Amino acid sequence: MTYEEEIQEKENMSYEEKNITVSLVTQLLIAGYYVASWWNIYQSGELAPNRLFGLWAVVIAASIFSTIIASILTNIVLTILEAIQSKKYEEPRFASDERDELISLKGTRLAYLIFSIGVFISILVFAFGNPPVMMVSLIIFFGVLAQIAGDILQIYLYRRGF
Amino acid sequence: MGRRRIRNNIRKLRFNANEMTQEQLAEKVGVTRQTIIAIEKDKYPPSLELAFRIALVFNVSLDEVFSYLEEDTK
Repeated sequence: MTYEEEIQEKENMSYEEKNITVSLVTQLLIAGYYVASWWNIYQSGELAPNRLFGLWAVVIAASIFSTIIASILTNIVLTILEAIQSKKYEEPRFASDERDELISLKGTRLAYLIFSIGVFISILVFAFGNPPVMMVSLIIFFGVLAQIAGDILQIYLYRRGF
Repeated sequence: MGRRRIRNNIRKLRFNANEMTQEQLAEKVGVTRQTIIAIEKDKYPPSLELAFRIALVFNVSLDEVFSYLEEDTK
């Protein structure tokens, strides 16, 4: 392996890996916002449904749209940065290959597993006499947690090679 | 049963092919450079189709690129 290749090997992640990293940061921010806001509502004395509905709507919408917008912005920024670094415009390569797809599948499988366990726990919490808003709050929390866990697994697999 | 590993000679074949870079090989077989790196390091076992595509690039048979070994686990 040439010196140039050794340097290349250490540097840059693939587009998919960068996208997942951005998605992970976004999901962590959303999770932090959700937990902090939920705790504020809880501390105010009761789990008021009208306040919780608003919070759920914000978290679900942010979770869906932030990943899409972050992915688009990441691609644009990376293309610009690469063009500046190499001092020429190269056609960006966003396509994923078979390894990306397998890693994505493994991440999704873990996310589904955690979400399924989360839904089961939420139902148990409801069955033991807690209000329905608590159950839905937990389901949404486990949804975000599942996404985070899936992203972490994918980043780990990318760093390890597979 | 021992641990199984798919070994490869891609680095040597690249060197013999006029020092082909990982990037060039990745472009020829239609994957990312990171995937070629993972295959070379025996981290990622490629699909049969990708394995054939790599062999075709170097114009050699599949067993000249990949070998299947069973390691003893003690």
